Amino acid sequence: MKAIDFEQKTAQKIYDSYIKRLEKTAKPLLREDREDVLMEFNSHIYEGMKRNPDENEADRLLDILEKLGEPEEVLKPLIAEKKLEQATNTFNPIHVFKALALNVGNGVFYILMTLLYLSLSLFVFLIYAKITNPTEVGLFFKEGNFMALGSINPDNLQERNIVEVLGNWFIPAMMVSGVVFYAAITLLLRLKRKAK
Amino acid sequence: MHNYVLCYRFASMNEEFIRKWKSQVKKGTLSFIVLNILKGKELYGYELIEAVKNKTSIEIAEGTLYPLLNRLKKENLVTSKWVEQESGIPRKYYVLTQEGINTIDQMKKYWETLEQSIKRISS
Repeated sequence: MKAIDFEQKTAQKIYDSYIKRLEKTAKPLLREDREDVLMEFNSHIYEGMKRNPDENEADRLLDILEKLGEPEEVLKPLIAEKKLEQATNTFNPIHVFKALALNVGNGVFYILMTLLYLSLSLFVFLIYAKITNPTEVGLFFKEGNFMALGSINPDNLQERNIVEVLGNWFIPAMMVSGVVFYAAITLLLRLKRKAK
Repeated sequence: MHNYVLCYRFASMNEEFIRKWKSQVKKGTLSFIVLNILKGKELYGYELIEAVKNKTSIEIAEGTLYPLLNRLKKENLVTSKWVEQESGIPRKYYVLTQEGINTIDQMKKYWETLEQSIKRISS
């Protein structure tokens, strides 16, 4: 992006700081999207400065930036949307998580999705826990009914007639559950985007 | 005195209600306005904002226009292209697609139906 040159030092400072804030806010975007957004705002400022050239430079610039709004606020909807596009196109868990975080403010749907995503990390955690602590972690049943998924104090097990039902299948079962959850989340996100 | 204060409160609440309603209407019609303004021309962002202001006397938050254009692009109603300028700072021009042109026609039909209904119920 070609930066704009100002005659006044104050105007230059104000411009530089605004662009810096834009760059910082646009960081989560892909490189080409980021460049595109920055260039468009830069062009907006440049075109605005060409109007009323007789007025004071810094005043004109401040007026343009004020009408445009705070960089963080202005870019928020754009970034949330682009991130969602990216997440549903790539299946990359980091992108999915970021997109969800950015879209939580946009309604109950995304809050629900975030909860689903958090429970997904539970499966991963349980696999790790099972490896480090095989006797205490598992899927526990008491007299044929579901009791707990997680870890239980081994002293309680025999006393209260609780049995672990998955055994060596615990880790594969958690893996499958994780994958199923993940596919469901991504699919729901895609459907939601299409419905819009 | 008491009554006076109450009246004042109602008046200001009413203004607040109308202000919110106006902003909702604006939000809901901005895409229709922008698409109409792009009819038959190519405009860059700043020009488009000026055209909205001059032709409709609607004050829009300028920052909201760019996310809107991005959405219109994603819906395949407009396309954009960068055009190099002598200054070295290129402009991004927006133009309607055929799908965009068809969409305006449908929006216009709905708008006219709505206008007639509102006239009928409010006269």
